[in-house]
Amino acid sequence: MTHLKYLLLVSRQGKIRLTKWYAPLSPKEKAKIIKNLVPLILSRKAKMCNILEYSDHKVAYRRYASLYFICGITPDVDNELLTLEIIHKYVETMDQYFGNVCELDIIYNFTKAYDILNEMIMCDGSLAETSKTVVLKDVRTMDSMVGTDDLNRVLS
Amino acid sequence: MERKKSIIGNPTRSTSSTTSTIKGLQLFIADLRSCQQTQEQEKRIQTELVKIKQHFNSSSTKNTSHSHGSHHDKLGGYQRKKYIAKLAYVYITSNTTKLNDILFGLDQTVQLLSSTAFSEKFIGYMTLELLYEHRQVVEKVNEKVTYYLLQDLSESDDNFVALALHFVGTVALLPFNQFATNDEIISAIFQILRSPTSSHYLKKKSALSFLTLLKANPVILTDDMQRKQLWIQRIVSLLDDTSNYRLCLAALPLVEYIAKNIDSTYCIRLVPQLTEILYNCVVVGTSSSSSVANQFPMEYKFANIPNPWLITKTVSLLSFLIISQNETTNKQLQSHSGPNTLLYASNLNPEVLSKLRQCVTVAIELGMRTCNDPMEKIVQNTVLFSLINFASKLDPTDDAIKSSVNALCSLLSSPDINTRYLTLDSLLKLCSLSGEVAINSVRYNKNLGLIFNILKHERDSSIVRKCIDLLYTFTDSENVKLIVEELLNFVLHSRNLNDPHMKSDIAVKIAVLTEKYAMDSNWFVIISLKILSLTNNNAPFNDDGIWQRLCQIVVNNSHLHKLTCDQLVDYLYKNECSESIIKTSAFLLGEYCGKVQDKISIANLFNLFTDKYSMVSNVTKAMILTTMIKLYNFAPEIGSWVIKFFQLELNSLDIELQTRSYEYLKIIQISKMSESNGNANNNNNLINVLFSPMPPFITKSNPLLKRLGGNLQPSSSPSSSSHKASAGSTTLVESTTPMTTPGVTQRPPPPPASRTNSMVPKSQEEYYVEQTSTLSPNWREGFNRMISHKQGILFTSPLIKIIYRITAVKTEERIDYSRLRVELSYINETEWDITGLSSEIFPFKVQDNPEYIIQNVALPTPTKISMGHGERSRQSFEIVIRKPFDVDNCGPLLMVHFKCGGNGFNHVKLKLGVGITHTLIGNQDTGSMRHVIELPEFIQRWKMLSTALGKDGEFIFDSVPFKKDATVDMEEARMTIRQILKRLGFDIVEQNSVKNTIFVSGIIHTKSDGNFGCLMKVKYQDDGKINLTCKTTLGGPLAEYIVRCTKSAISR
Repeated sequence: MTHLKYLLLVSRQGKIRLTKWYAPLSPKEKAKIIKNLVPLILSRKAKMCNILEYSDHKVAYRRYASLYFICGITPDVDNELLTLEIIHKYVETMDQYFGNVCELDIIYNFTKAYDILNEMIMCDGSLAETSKTVVLKDVRTMDSMVGTDDLNRVLS
Repeated sequence: MERKKSIIGNPTRSTSSTTSTIKGLQLFIADLRSCQQTQEQEKRIQTELVKIKQHFNSSSTKNTSHSHGSHHDKLGGYQRKKYIAKLAYVYITSNTTKLNDILFGLDQTVQLLSSTAFSEKFIGYMTLELLYEHRQVVEKVNEKVTYYLLQDLSESDDNFVALALHFVGTVALLPFNQFATNDEIISAIFQILRSPTSSHYLKKKSALSFLTLLKANPVILTDDMQRKQLWIQRIVSLLDDTSNYRLCLAALPLVEYIAKNIDSTYCIRLVPQLTEILYNCVVVGTSSSSSVANQFPMEYKFANIPNPWLITKTVSLLSFLIISQNETTNKQLQSHSGPNTLLYASNLNPEVLSKLRQCVTVAIELGMRTCNDPMEKIVQNTVLFSLINFASKLDPTDDAIKSSVNALCSLLSSPDINTRYLTLDSLLKLCSLSGEVAINSVRYNKNLGLIFNILKHERDSSIVRKCIDLLYTFTDSENVKLIVEELLNFVLHSRNLNDPHMKSDIAVKIAVLTEKYAMDSNWFVIISLKILSLTNNNAPFNDDGIWQRLCQIVVNNSHLHKLTCDQLVDYLYKNECSESIIKTSAFLLGEYCGKVQDKISIANLFNLFTDKYSMVSNVTKAMILTTMIKLYNFAPEIGSWVIKFFQLELNSLDIELQTRSYEYLKIIQISKMSESNGNANNNNNLINVLFSPMPPFITKSNPLLKRLGGNLQPSSSPSSSSHKASAGSTTLVESTTPMTTPGVTQRPPPPPASRTNSMVPKSQEEYYVEQTSTLSPNWREGFNRMISHKQGILFTSPLIKIIYRITAVKTEERIDYSRLRVELSYINETEWDITGLSSEIFPFKVQDNPEYIIQNVALPTPTKISMGHGERSRQSFEIVIRKPFDVDNCGPLLMVHFKCGGNGFNHVKLKLGVGITHTLIGNQDTGSMRHVIELPEFIQRWKMLSTALGKDGEFIFDSVPFKKDATVDMEEARMTIRQILKRLGFDIVEQNSVKNTIFVSGIIHTKSDGNFGCLMKVKYQDDGKINLTCKTTLGGPLAEYIVRCTKSAISR
């Protein structure tokens, strides 16, 4: 299951906040997806369903405050509802990490946002870890390593 | 659960992770955000880029001058990290458009990988992950990156290894980097995967990294049998610990990929383990008794349900490994590993089977359970959907299917819109997999009403589409009326239907359903006309399939003529009638105007059409013109009006209408003349012949079905499951002998005269021979030139010049000499424009093991635009030489058509001299096999061939006239012949012992028959005649073909 094609974070104004491509698409195809898909999703009404069919694949998306999380998925392989839950899981994990996460957290700490995402979804869009605690533990380990780096820098 | 996240608009707010923040980066981002205008922002980015560039430059110069300072890295890791992070941010925020502006930082980014500080390495890898899709990036740094990767993969610290694994996993599928073929990387990653000492954390990541490598290059496992067996066993054993959910989750996709794409034999043994995992999750994990439930770690529960991702993945793998009886045939075709490597449900261990069935039962129970947490409900449904789709594999009983259907149908009224969508989706799949039982239980349990209800009230087009597909699946002769009425109502009245595509899609579906299942042909006609009449209202209906199909059926069923024509007249009387109706009327009323005389006089009918004439497109106008002359033919008394009408149309701007009017006027004129000549027998003879009644159509298949094929995969079952339904009823399809479409899609239907022109299809060879008799004069000159030269002029005339070029096709690794690319350029030689240039390439054979195949034909460019004086149009195609053939008799034909200066069409028909000698390559040209033949070796080989084959494979041609017959200078002749032979591709044996003979050798390449050696002696005589003797390593006519080509080249 779960071979995501891509994950896009887009603001309500259509600004790209984060992109992660799991399927090997050419830059042209990527640009096309961003250009066509994003306005399509932004124009959908709140009560519409969170899944739509776009070109040859399906797209699951969910809006959190001012941010849209958009996932391209492989039809018949990915489960649409679970994709939405992955998105939710990602948001929850970031929420716990940053403490009440907001769009600005993601903008300012985009490296961290990538980091958390990487711990959850890997490589070709397969799910690597679903446990929030484990992800956070791993991320914190990395943080402490960064801390040690900084300490070493000061001492040297 | 709190889903809304607050936004606190304070950029300097410190987050919980202060340790990892980079202050400079944060300031930079805050700066950019505070810029109101894009220009301002752009300026800020540029100044930052300049600053970073300066820092990088100064650090590199200082590094060289003060190599022994206390800070030998002047820039410092922290600074470098900060700057690279800024560049990465610029790249993301500019949506990758600023790639070239940040490339200067590439070396410094790679430098970060060499750092021992984790955070620096992290930023380095992260940035490269973003940039690695670009060729220029990969080409520049791939070597260094590979070096650091290997280093990190063998690090002792797990976190460093994880970074490298992650990087490989992310980029290996992208083009340009060659990680998936790099053995060092592959083994390093596999080592981590198999090593018993690796942590679960790394095993998990390496499994997914390895999966990416495998996807990029499956050869990793298929190349070496021993490795394949060993490695796959190791990978499969990752799943042995069925309670290690963490590792299972990551290993499952890898195993699934191997099972599907490499070899499923090794994975079959996993079925009991997978069942165990599934059972633990679905049955044990959801059990309400607290003592058992505790066994499932809370950590891996999600919304109170055991990890749904794990469940769906396990189910997906299981449903690949187990096949049900009715899909056997399909799988056999698809799976290259053959059917016996997959398991039938009937072969499953009874214990396993019962456990699996239990899982399905529990999932259905879960789906029916009421619960208050919406999240939990969603997860329950997910588990339900995936297991219900799987259940059809387990040889389910009819009752089991019914209970699945009921569970699904109860979800149709779910308040959650996503659930409704997926329920419909799941029902569709279930119906196509489990067939009749499922379909019937959906249909007869009031569920149909439920679906209609959704159709009426749903606003979301994706759901509506699923609904329609589902209804389409259910239709049979019993409920067709009900369903079609509902669909028609929906199209006519729904306010939610705004998508014109969908509208036309539904219309086509209705048309197909009515034709397929209608028990009452009158009803069929009435409904079809209804569809046609509605299509024009809002969206122009751009496909003619429906009306054409209706015409076909009406023509073939004489009892429908009257009813249809009556109905059409009624439609025509309405003020707004659609163009499709007018087209149908134009065709059918023209044919059968006699049937409506009790309702309307022919004169009135004529008036009716003249009224409509002004409102329709030219295509329809052309059809109406034909109708007019048909009316005239039926009732000559309206002649004067008809003639007047045609005369008016002589001034039409459209050439087709003009021509038609002119032709029809003439026809009337001729028939009148013969009448006045008193030729009573021949009265109206011509017109009667031309407009004789329409014969029945012959094509069996419905062209509309083709249209549906693409977008209606899941509901492909109606065709199969409906056999029973349609067998009992006399459906229209069976009672008719349907037919070719009356009109070609784009152009107006041709004047009916053409239908008497019955053409018996000729075989390709016959046609080829016929064509060769009408080649353009002077074709021989270009043909011979083509044989002897790789490029040159193929044809010249005062109008057009054609230039050709022949090259061997280069594939990635080597040049394929048996594949020739031919490029043609057409040059306009006239003062006027050449328009409508088109060409056809015509091989001797297309079936029965042809000697050569023409493929990849690129049409002349530009095709539509006219070519001015001296302008060129290019075309190219490939010829694959499969075996030896005679180019003289079987060479491909080229036919070129074009218009020039209003003279109508010009044709050029040429034979192309592309043949066996173009695959001829000398010995020394084959790269590694460099070898020069000396005379003794030549003679030795010649003798060997003589002993082996005798006269077979030899061909002699005496007294070939050399082209310059006046030449007596032997030396000059020798040089010229040498030149020609060299150009053909022969290798010349350098020798001085035999004066008047040239010895040559070469290799002929063919695709299917292989390569052959060829030796030839060319002896020239004083009288200017040449004797050719050729021997080939293949018996048969190959030698003759080579000699003939050589002769064509020499005596040109």
